[in-house]
Amino acid sequence: MTESGKKAKSAVTPGKRVRHGISAVLINLVLIVFSASCIFPIIWMLYSSLKEKRVFNADIIGLPKHPTLINYIRILTNKDYHLAESMWNSVRTTGISIVAIVLFSFIVGYILARVRFKMNRALYVMFLMGMLIPIHSLLVPIYVVFRRCGMSNQWYTLLFPYIAFGLPMGIFLVEGFVRTIPVALEEAAAIDGSSFSYTLWHIIFPICKPILTTVAIIQIFGCWNEFSFALVLIKDVSLQTVPLALTQFKGQFASDYPKQMAAMLITMAPVVVLYFAFSREIIKGMVAGAVKG
Amino acid sequence: MLTTIKPRRRTVILYLIVPVALFVFTVFVPLVTALVYSFFEWKGGPSKQFTGLANYQQLFRDGVFWQAFGHNIYLVVACIIGQIGIAFIMVMFVNSRMARLKGIHRTFGFFPSTISAVCIGLIWSMVYHYKFGLINWFLRIIGRPDLQQVWLNDSKHVMLYVTIPLIWQYIGYYMVIILSAIASINTDVLESAEIDGANGFQKSVYIVLPLIRNTMLVCITLCIAGNMKAFDNIYVMTSGGPGTSSMVMAMWGYKVSFQQSNMGYGSCISVAIFILSLLVIGGSQWAIKRATRNMGD
Repeated sequence: MTESGKKAKSAVTPGKRVRHGISAVLINLVLIVFSASCIFPIIWMLYSSLKEKRVFNADIIGLPKHPTLINYIRILTNKDYHLAESMWNSVRTTGISIVAIVLFSFIVGYILARVRFKMNRALYVMFLMGMLIPIHSLLVPIYVVFRRCGMSNQWYTLLFPYIAFGLPMGIFLVEGFVRTIPVALEEAAAIDGSSFSYTLWHIIFPICKPILTTVAIIQIFGCWNEFSFALVLIKDVSLQTVPLALTQFKGQFASDYPKQMAAMLITMAPVVVLYFAFSREIIKGMVAGAVKG
Repeated sequence: MLTTIKPRRRTVILYLIVPVALFVFTVFVPLVTALVYSFFEWKGGPSKQFTGLANYQQLFRDGVFWQAFGHNIYLVVACIIGQIGIAFIMVMFVNSRMARLKGIHRTFGFFPSTISAVCIGLIWSMVYHYKFGLINWFLRIIGRPDLQQVWLNDSKHVMLYVTIPLIWQYIGYYMVIILSAIASINTDVLESAEIDGANGFQKSVYIVLPLIRNTMLVCITLCIAGNMKAFDNIYVMTSGGPGTSSMVMAMWGYKVSFQQSNMGYGSCISVAIFILSLLVIGGSQWAIKRATRNMGD
């Protein structure tokens, strides 16, 4: 009895192990296919951009036998493409927007969390509404207002929507964070004779750095990638940001894929490098922003 | 009172004036302007004519707009099932003890969501391309060149084809959000379930899912809000075509306002997008809350 029981048991184990092994292989296979699909397009673009158009058209998938940088050189040297200019516009717009979003979120978030005044709740609700408003319904109206004020198609035009749309989430992240800081800290500072501004910038600001980094991370990708408001508000080729420039390349190089790919890789390079250098922090920041915001 | 916690009024006003003014000017002024202009016949030139509710009457009869609204809803549903559903399955795989290279899957999976929608749209235009696209290349390789087609010209299925890139782009994003929610679950619960003989599927559906309900709600809300504003991908891939078979609301508002330069009616569409998006987001929140309340905790 016991012997047959033992036999049955030992007969089950290898079968179970095989099944276990098969599911392990399947699970890993699915995950690898998924990850590969996420990364493959950029690898395909990377090596295809090193081919000449003629070579690419003959074989779209093969590795380049004679890799060449000719596509990159042509794109960056040809003045008609404005790629370097667009890069600079994107860098400038993103940079200024991030600094402004971080500073304003910090100031407003702190004041809303700590200072009691009549308008406090009203302002809070106003920024909360800013998160709920479907901003794409503002596409046309913003154009109308900005053109009326002579503010469309200027170097500073895009700063307004980018900062304004970035503020609500930043403010809420900061507000929630400041509430976790004990008030005793500011009281002690006040007793030592620190003014409101001094406490704000020298005591609270350093404490808030982690949350402000999160805000900056979320917004860097948002600003760099933003397309629709740039499309509506910017007409001048010399003022366009990177996504806008890319849509024009699509028309210009309709049948020249290696060149399109080279252009895309150049414009993606800053965020790709940033992402793979700090992926852990970036993923953490984005998740925090999504869940808390 | 301590001046640190209770600063002078002037200080507070000075600190707040710039961000508040900027925000009001960029968000609320355009909203009100749109509401006003939606009652005018205005072709973008100097002359405007008050026409009352004429634009709104036109909107209710505008088949393209309602078709576009339907497409937005299609996107929302497809992406909730596709993005969050697949993400949840991926999470279960990544979290299983057999999975290897977890960190790599997180990093690579999340990667597409950091790329601009314009780039994603351009990449997928290449994937779908008739002559140089990956899909047709694959069909030729497996010996089914008869299945090749100009994918984005198929007006019947074009919505599906523009949805696939959207789903693909954000699976990793939701995967990471769900992963971080699961990481905060007490492992005792899962272990005791395992001892009681629950298999992987039972564990995920009956134990994990209820425990991360709030995170799933956040995901669904993000998904709805994100897809009601779909524009960039569609603009790059099809511009709403062929015909109007992949039109979405924001795209139609853009076309009416800037290509037909009908700013009055464009403003009316903007107001409609505003109201409909709020209704869909608010309505779905309400429905989900109700449904989950009936489910009981």
